[in-house]
Order: sequence, then C-alpha cells, then structure tokens
Amino acid sequence: MNVWLNRFRTFDWRNTWPKVVAAVPVIIFLLIPVFTQGEIVLNMLILSGIWAVAAMGFTLILRTGQFSLGQAAFMAIGGYTSAIISVVLGWPWWFAFLLSGIVSGIVAMLIGSVVLRVGGIYFSIITLSLTEVIRIIAQQWEPVTHGSRGLITTPPPNIDLGPLHINFMANSVPFYYLTLILVAVTGLVFWQIGKTRMGGTFYAMLANQTLAEHEGIHLMKYRVIAFTLAGVFAGFAGAIYANYLTVISPLIFGLWQSIQIMMMSIVGGMSSLVAGPIIGSTLLYVLGIQLARLPIYGIAQLLYGAVVVLVLIFLPKGTGLIDLWPRIWRKIYREVEEYEIPGETRQED
Amino acid sequence: MPPAGIWIDGLVQSSTYITMAFGMVLVFSILGILNWTHGQYYMLGAVIVYYGVTAAGVPFPISMLVTGLIIAGLGMLVKKVIIDRVSGDLYVGAVTLALIFFFEGLASMLFGMQDKGLANVMPGSMDFGSFSVSYQKIAVVGFTLVVMIAMYIVLNRTKVGLSIRAAAQEPRAASLYGVRVDRVSLIVMGIGCALAAWAGCIMGPVYSINPFIGRIPMIFSLLAIVIGGLGSLSGAIIGGLILGFLNSVMAYYISYYSEVVLFALVIILLLVRPQGLFGAALK
Repeated sequence: MNVWLNRFRTFDWRNTWPKVVAAVPVIIFLLIPVFTQGEIVLNMLILSGIWAVAAMGFTLILRTGQFSLGQAAFMAIGGYTSAIISVVLGWPWWFAFLLSGIVSGIVAMLIGSVVLRVGGIYFSIITLSLTEVIRIIAQQWEPVTHGSRGLITTPPPNIDLGPLHINFMANSVPFYYLTLILVAVTGLVFWQIGKTRMGGTFYAMLANQTLAEHEGIHLMKYRVIAFTLAGVFAGFAGAIYANYLTVISPLIFGLWQSIQIMMMSIVGGMSSLVAGPIIGSTLLYVLGIQLARLPIYGIAQLLYGAVVVLVLIFLPKGTGLIDLWPRIWRKIYREVEEYEIPGETRQED
Repeated sequence: MPPAGIWIDGLVQSSTYITMAFGMVLVFSILGILNWTHGQYYMLGAVIVYYGVTAAGVPFPISMLVTGLIIAGLGMLVKKVIIDRVSGDLYVGAVTLALIFFFEGLASMLFGMQDKGLANVMPGSMDFGSFSVSYQKIAVVGFTLVVMIAMYIVLNRTKVGLSIRAAAQEPRAASLYGVRVDRVSLIVMGIGCALAAWAGCIMGPVYSINPFIGRIPMIFSLLAIVIGGLGSLSGAIIGGLILGFLNSVMAYYISYYSEVVLFALVIILLLVRPQGLFGAALK
C-alpha cells in the first residue's frame, strides 16, 4: 500500500497533466458525430480539418526556412487528379483518391528538386507563379477540367462492413471521419518527423542555413523531402475537399487560398508541427464562417488580416498561439520561465 | 501583326507595371523585403481618388496629389507600427501578405463590392487616322514618363537620393557616414506607396474600381522586377515593357494561355539567372 502511494507521489504529474488535458479535445473530436450530426458543425470541422492538413505541410516547409505560396497548387493537383481519374477515366474512387496524393507528391518532388535550388524570396515567387499557372491551366483546359464551370466529382462508393453501412451520400459523418483519419495520419507522420533526427535538421536549417550547411547538412535534400511530404498531404486534402464539395473548379484553389493556409499556419504557431496548424486553421476557419454571416461584407477579411498582424507582433518569430500552451502550464506550476528551443524534446531522466 | 490597339494596350499596361515596380524595387533595395501589400496601396489610391472626385468634388489632378500623400503617410505608418516590430524576414513577408486581406476587407466594408467607374474625368480621344487613343491612356503613359524622369532626378541629383543609394548599397557604412538609415527607409516606404497609389489613381478612369483591383497589378509588377532583376530600377523599366507588350501581344494570339507562358518564362528565368536580366547578384 505504502509502495503504491509512494509511486503515486513520485509519478511525474507535471509532465502528465498537460498531456491529459491535450487528449481531451482529441476524444471530443472523435465523439462529435455521436452528439450532433448537424451539417453546419460537421461542415465547419471537415473544412477546417482539410485546411489544417495543408497548413501542416506549410509549417513543415517553413521549418526549412522556405516560404511556400504553392500549397493551394498541390491541393488543386490532388483534387483534379482524383476527379479526372474517377470521372473522366472511370476508375475506382479509392484508387483515384490514393493516386491524388501520389501524383501530387511526384509533381512536388520534380518541381522541388529544380526550384529549391534558388531559395528565399525567389522560391516564394516561383511557387506563387506555379499556383497561378495551375489555376489558369485548370480554367483553360476545357475538355478535361470543364473550365471555370467545374468538374462534378463522383461520390465515393458505399462500403458494407457487415452491420455497418457507410453511405457517403446520406450525410457528412463518413466524410468527417475520413478527414479525421487524414488529419490523424498527417499529424502522426509530421509528429514523428519532428521527433527524429530529421526534425532537428529542419530546425538547424531554420536557425541558420549557412551554419547548417557547414555542419554537413545537405540543405537541398531536406528541402525536397519537406516539399514532397507537404505536397503529398496537400494532394490528399485537395482530393477530400473536391469530393466533399462535389464540384471542383479553379476558383477554389488560387493564390489567396495559399495565403490563407500561410495565415493559419502562422497564427497557430510553428513551434509545433501538428497542434499549431490544427489550432490555427480551426480558429481562423470558424472565425471566418461566423463573420461571413454578418451583413457587413469584408469584415471577415479585415479581422483575418488583423489577427495575423497582432499574432506576429505580440508572439514574435512565429511562436503563434500554440506557444501559449506551455506558458499556461508554467504559470500553473509557478515555474520561472526559461528560454527553450520550441519543439526540442526534453531529455527524460 | 496585331492591330495598333493591342500595342497601345501593351504600352498602357507596361506603364502601370513600371510605376508600381519602381516602388517595389525601392522598398526591396532598402528594406530587403518584398512588399506584398503593394497592390493594395494601388487599390486604395484608386478608391480614395474616386471619393475625392465624386464625393468631395476636388479636381482630378489635385485629388490625385493628395491621395499620393495620404497613401505615403499610410505606408510610413505601416512601416513604423507593424513592419518594424516584426522580426525575421520570413515573418515580415507573412505580415505584408496578411495586410493584403486587411486592406481588402477595409475597402470592401467602406467602398462596397460593386464596380465603380471614373470614366468622366478625361473624356474624348485623340485621332491618329486609322485608330484613336483616349486621352486617359495618353495620360497614363505621360504620367509614367514624368515618374521616370522625376525618379532619375531625385535619385541622382539630390541629397536624399544620394543617401537612398548609399543605404541601398551598404547600410552599415552609410550610417557610419551620417546617413540615418531608419529615416531613409521610412522615406523610401513613403515614396514607394505614393507611386503605387498614383498608379492606381491614373488607372482608375481606364478600368473600373473595386476592392480587388490590386491583385493582378501586384503580381505582374512583381514579375516585372523579377525579369529586370530585383533591386534595379532600369531593370524594372525593361521588365515592365517586356511584360506589358508580351502579355497583350501574346493574348491576341493565344488568349489566356499567354499568362501561363509568362509565368513559365519567369520560372525558367529565375532558375537560369536568379539575379534577373539586369540585376547585380544579390548577397
């Protein structure tokens, strides 16, 4: 009894409580369709999940010190790949969905291995041009993409798993779980990357490129890896987006969506590869939807811009909202704040 | 051979891109950042001059001058209050991108979404026999020529220009020689924003005015300075001319695909020669 009590006392509550509290929203997200199947709530969560995946990719690229304005282009590539393969060629839906990520990843790798040679501001301009090129091609290549009228996607087939019948057309719940799975997979992959040696390498590249290169880090290799991974998951996100909206048109993937992804990532904070983008995109998307209901047009954009500016001024260097989380816990434990490189895992002793 | 109207349109487009690109080049060479909000200063210029002419009844040239001063003040305010407080080049880029949304939202709240026109400012056109050119388009080209000459004089013949050039070349050494670099960068931000606003004013009567007109000129003037070389004023002129004529002449033959060709051209140019056609290699 005494031993058990001792173990109870020496248990590391300080590191456990934050994790327990952080697990609560995950469980809530899993159970939301049990409480409500309202289309408005699910719609909001599905779309913020889709943007969160794209924003995670942006954060990963930003970690290597590059500023990509091409995330929406890869979403467009993924969306159009899945739509064209399933509608025009008539291949199975799930196969098309799988291909959307692969094609977008291959395109990202090919483009990245050429374009990432010029870094910095030029990379931003090239990715901007790329986004516009993809959008114009989608608009003008009438026979395949149906131009600005948009391509109507085929719904995913029904799945019969014994007693469980999943019908994607009936309501949004299957799409909700599909998005949740995508967010979870992307999050797990990026989280593991953040923990490994590669994550440390990305941080070194963000802190000081020249020093990182002299430490023997092959900058080009890691940039292409980050760009490709971001492209793969943006492609999947784009495919879900196109299929959820049931129509894909060039208007939904432009430079302004790329900037929106950037804002979500910056507001959430880049000290975390997973939680930051999720918080940022959910917050900004829900804010945008709520403000769009007001009769004053433009207030959503105004506040979007203002929020990002305020976050960048008061939470500098891209720490974002996620950085408030450890600060709150330090306040609770009354610890003295110390500077800690964000993302670096604490040594277990 | 495309008709004369296409070439005139190319010249008008080039003129806008050149005026906008001047401001971007100046800001880039002093502050070391790309001001992504530049197109929104263009839009705000057009909006303010619209109100100046229609609501306040001020003559077009005077309201244009005042608009330039207002936007210059706005640019300086943004520089002082926002850009100076954000550290890191990546995040300064992010903050100027976010300001695009801020200004567009502001303009849509105050100005409304519908297109408005200023067509009655300079009516009439000049007849050249087989074709005619409206006075408004002539004014655009003439204004750009004035801007080019004025910029040349300011940069090469005045003390402010000397300190701007010094600060662009070597900020630390310039500050050792008594140039107040922070003040110079403020002035440059003001000049850049005023040029963008004037481009918006002079183009206002040619096209219609709405809160989103700033997007396309921003992207194209960005491409112009990339073609000419970031940080080079003569490069901006050449880049603007190439871009304006190429865009309008190619659009005559292959319609919207001309933009794809332009963007592809810029991507290839950046890969082969990142410093642009005329730019010196950057550090």
